[in-house]
Amino acid sequence: MDNMVSVVLNTDVKQKDADSAVVVAVTSRALFEQGPEDDETGVWKLSRAFPLLQAVQKVNDCLLEKNPAESLLLDVILITTDSQHQQLSSVLISSTRHHGLGVGKFFFSSEETFIDCLLENNVQLFLSTSKDEVLMASQKGVPSALLEARKNDSSVQCQREDLRVWLHEDLISPCDSASQPSSRHSPQRFLAQLGEIRQRFGVSDSPLWISLVILHGGRENCGNRLKALRSLGVSVDDVYCLAGAPSDPLLSLLQPHFRFNCSFVN
Amino acid sequence: MSANSGRTLTVSGHDLAKNGSSNTGAPWEDAGTVLKPTTPTRKPQPPKPQNAITIAVSSRVLFNMEKEQQIFERQGMEEYIKYQVAHETEPFSPGPAFSFVKALEAVNTQLRELYPESEELFDVVLITNNHANVGLRLINTINHYQLFIERFCMTGGNSPIGYLKAYHTNLYLSADPDKVHEALEAGIAAATMFTPDKMTEVSETQLRVAFDGDAVLFSDESEQIYKAHGLDKFFEHEKAHENRPLDHGPLKGFLEVLGKLQKKFYAKGRRMDCPIRTYLVTARSAASSGTRALKTLRSWGLEIDEALFLAGAPKGPMLEKIRPHIFFDDQMFHVEGAAEMGTVACHVPYGIAQRAARKGGKDKETSPVVK
Repeated sequence: MDNMVSVVLNTDVKQKDADSAVVVAVTSRALFEQGPEDDETGVWKLSRAFPLLQAVQKVNDCLLEKNPAESLLLDVILITTDSQHQQLSSVLISSTRHHGLGVGKFFFSSEETFIDCLLENNVQLFLSTSKDEVLMASQKGVPSALLEARKNDSSVQCQREDLRVWLHEDLISPCDSASQPSSRHSPQRFLAQLGEIRQRFGVSDSPLWISLVILHGGRENCGNRLKALRSLGVSVDDVYCLAGAPSDPLLSLLQPHFRFNCSFVN
Repeated sequence: MSANSGRTLTVSGHDLAKNGSSNTGAPWEDAGTVLKPTTPTRKPQPPKPQNAITIAVSSRVLFNMEKEQQIFERQGMEEYIKYQVAHETEPFSPGPAFSFVKALEAVNTQLRELYPESEELFDVVLITNNHANVGLRLINTINHYQLFIERFCMTGGNSPIGYLKAYHTNLYLSADPDKVHEALEAGIAAATMFTPDKMTEVSETQLRVAFDGDAVLFSDESEQIYKAHGLDKFFEHEKAHENRPLDHGPLKGFLEVLGKLQKKFYAKGRRMDCPIRTYLVTARSAASSGTRALKTLRSWGLEIDEALFLAGAPKGPMLEKIRPHIFFDDQMFHVEGAAEMGTVACHVPYGIAQRAARKGGKDKETSPVVK
């Protein structure tokens, strides 16, 4: 019974087109703070993933503003990755609805079942605050990234900011090691869709910003990456070639919501 | 397409391009043709930023992007980017900082020969707020001239100042006076570079850097006296305070790092033919106010190879004789005078001279920002 995954729709939110939407799974641990519920409201406080959800909401709103019939939207689903949270379904649902988060569905799974759940449900991007989870999911072929801690992390007062994505190559990541051949397409598919969303907007008015960071190797490498991304339909906004210089200063300047490994893109 | 219609560009660029590269013939003359395939250059690793002397240049001073700039101003960002992408394989022609960058590389080559293990080298970084779509054209152009630039930031419109600070920039050169001003305020040595009317030939083997004194190497404290009380008072004051060192100006640090590298050459017996040579070109007079300048430098432990006290005479002709790769001055009058005679001159917008210029309602040289 504990191995069952239940899927619950959020009735507050209009469901997205399953064929066209980009499904982004965020862990419940990333969205809600540990600890007891708020005394007054009985719901959990928001945590690191909140700015991301707001930014995603902004992107969707801008897309719909341009085209009310737009189906290429970002579809956020909330997933539990441990049995403890799996049991707390009602608090999770009520907390999500209380904060008015645009989460389309809930997947209640455990440590053992969450990766299969991601694979079966066509999740194109998995975001977590746990390095282990990101590693495990990547190894199984689910494009994954760690949610970044950001400066203005104290949630609720957050302005609605643009969605900032940092693309880099991480040659140490297991994403590079031979996994199922079919799964190698998934990161490319995600990037292609991201690129397509970006193309809906002009140079200066986009709610989505894509940065390319070349950590090692020089301009030759950088040029090749730019071309490879372009052939996938991804047009980046800014590019940084560090040639081995430390990336932390750049990280504080750019403040991306997450950093995505694109080293498999040839 | 001629990016340089009407301009008699550069015998020097021609020669410099010959040095170590396979382009003969002015590259910009056949800008219509696709550039030659890139051959891998000698590839030493770039030094770690904390060890290197980082010189940041913007795209518009490294290369000539006048035509593109006009497109941006007249037709807007989208057209500008479209144009850049359409001409992606056409290299830009060299800009005013080009010969300076080549000279820095020449110094690096000689430093590497003498100190193969050392990372105390110049690291030229391209920092531009251009959009990444222009990136490939910039990369292609760097490849074309075989410049050793492996680090760059194309910020897509964001201010580059944060990046300058994050990567320990020792000197920032840009065509945009606003950015230069911002950098100076943030404590980074910076100057606005102008394109001379003609380019005089400069050395390929010896880096020559010329500095004005007040409000560049030194603070503007003495200039304030001159502005408030006139020339006589200025001479009096300087003589009276001859033994009190002036406070330092924004480019003092850069002179310091040049001096450090010079000492490395001296240690290997390269004093007479040192690949770096520095000049002080000042309106001060040798007879009176000059002493304080020299004593200040000495108190800082800095040497300057040649001090030229012009006692108010124009700087252009003197610079024309010296042929520096770059000249720094805080007064546009001198910068313009130098540029007229073919010197690559940079304006350091620091100190009292700037306030006076603004009050006088002088036309501020606004190079529009490429967003």
